[in-house]
Amino acid sequence: MRERLRPAEWQLALPLALAYAAFFLVPLILLIAVSGFADETITTPGLAQWSKFLGDPFTWKVIFDTVKLGAYTVAATVLIGYPLALVYLGAGPRWQRAILFVVILPLLTSVVVRTFAWIVILGREGVINQTVLWLGLAPAPLRLLQTEHGLVIALTQIEMPLLLLPLLSVMSRMDPSLRDASAALGASKWRTLSRVTLPLSLPGLVAGCMLVFASSTTAFISQFVIGGNRLVYLPLLIWQQSLVVYNWPLASAAALTLLVSVGLGVAAIATVGRRSRAYAI
Amino acid sequence: MTHARVTRRQVLTVAAVTLGSLTLGRSAHAKGSVTAAMYPGTWEEAYRAHVAPALKKAHDVDLEMTPLFAVDQIAKAQAARGAPPFDAFVLDPGPRVTAIDRALFEKFDSKRLGNLGRLPAGMADDWGVTVAAQVVGIGYNPKKLPRPKGWTDLLKEPWVSRLGMTGFQTTFGTVSIIEIAKQFGGSETNVEPFFVEIKKVLSKVAAIGAPASMPALFQQGQCDITYTNTQTVATLRGRDVDIEFVKPESGAVAFYTTMHVAKGSKELENVYKYFDTVISAPVQTALMAPPNNFIPVNRDVKLSRDLPMASLDEMTKYARHDWSKINPLRAGWIERFNKEVSK
Repeated sequence: MRERLRPAEWQLALPLALAYAAFFLVPLILLIAVSGFADETITTPGLAQWSKFLGDPFTWKVIFDTVKLGAYTVAATVLIGYPLALVYLGAGPRWQRAILFVVILPLLTSVVVRTFAWIVILGREGVINQTVLWLGLAPAPLRLLQTEHGLVIALTQIEMPLLLLPLLSVMSRMDPSLRDASAALGASKWRTLSRVTLPLSLPGLVAGCMLVFASSTTAFISQFVIGGNRLVYLPLLIWQQSLVVYNWPLASAAALTLLVSVGLGVAAIATVGRRSRAYAI
Repeated sequence: MTHARVTRRQVLTVAAVTLGSLTLGRSAHAKGSVTAAMYPGTWEEAYRAHVAPALKKAHDVDLEMTPLFAVDQIAKAQAARGAPPFDAFVLDPGPRVTAIDRALFEKFDSKRLGNLGRLPAGMADDWGVTVAAQVVGIGYNPKKLPRPKGWTDLLKEPWVSRLGMTGFQTTFGTVSIIEIAKQFGGSETNVEPFFVEIKKVLSKVAAIGAPASMPALFQQGQCDITYTNTQTVATLRGRDVDIEFVKPESGAVAFYTTMHVAKGSKELENVYKYFDTVISAPVQTALMAPPNNFIPVNRDVKLSRDLPMASLDEMTKYARHDWSKINPLRAGWIERFNKEVSK
């Protein structure tokens, strides 16, 4: 039988629920309502802006690129972040504290500062290019800024804490005797990793991937400053329509499209996580 | 050890005192203040250093600034629907026309400005007053590239492969692209020739960036030539960046930055005092000096030798644009730019 909430408990959740209703639900309803107007001055109801937006093949390319950017960033953060989490798992308390500090460190600086720092690193005369030229690995500076791989490199660092914090939280609660038991029963390190550690850490990994995906697909400043105008993603279209040409119905349609795209991406990650867990068990 | 107990009455008393003091503080403060929207960065710093103290000294009015780009000011004022979050706008010509169309300004009475007579003719109208001029041309690194002559050089070697450009999101970007288009047979309302020409060299262009990141991209050597204004060039030179300003053969572009009273402002008297302080000769002189590098509009100001003109009247020869014609076309141009330059 399900336990019923006592009045005192739901009353505690009331302030947050009201804040959500006022600052998320109401704006969302307004956004949907504004997208249902055909003209920029928001006077004539109609779906003209939706049909203009979704009827343009360029929009679908932008949606695809936005989701692809999120997927690449998730893949890169997992590829680099998961081994680091394993190092954390095997480290002593002092090293664990040091790793946790390094993970949190990027959060202590503003995302704008971190993004502009990447211009210095990825630029033509930046650290990476100077090293490449000094080692003689390329005859001319590589083009890293304003390319998709440059942007993924920067986002990987910028979003890394979002993957690692839930992952480390789950991993630190894992019972170490389970891995010992696996080894005692003759499983190799790889088998222990794939059959014990990975399945047990999946909830943290999935939560981290969802956060990284949602954050990287909507990271307007990083996308625009590092990607420039050559890489067009949905947040740039929303900014242009809402703040440069003041076509709020079209901006609302683009914003809702981004919301749905990110929602579907997050749902897909959750589904993959659930199925992998079922398979692993 | 005993625990201090906090009663409900104590909590309510503290809350009431806090709220009360905030309200009292606001009303006492609001008597002599004006809230002005201000461009972030150089403008905000310069106004904090020179305009705020001058306004306080001359009229005992406090200047509070809300850092916002022109487009953000329009969006906020429009969203506020008659209850503006600030009393005064500072705008470039494009957003100014949009704001007039959307009735975001109070009618302006230029006769209330004591310094009006010191401005060249036509610097104030029924909507606001001009407070600074901007001159747009080409900025290039003389250590890396030969001096370009005009706009068409931007699309030729050796300049094009070091070119940094922005789209139609900003005033300086829009007017520069219009001027490039004009060299290839286009006009203020026809930028098609620009798209035809840029398509031929697009793969060579060094950077197509966000407007706010262009100075950083230039400083980092990502590009060595770009269209920009004199103020950005002077600011970068102040940071020891190798950059020179070039007036293109066909002429530089000039546009004016204007200030306006927000519709529904409760501080009309103080707003006029603020505008009058901004256009006064001592403040305009201070704003012209490094590291601010504004182009003044007050005739009494002796122009610095670093400026691209000997007198304010010279600017009448520079290219100007009619933003009431440009604004309706801009959305289409932005869309086209996205499609042409995106990979």
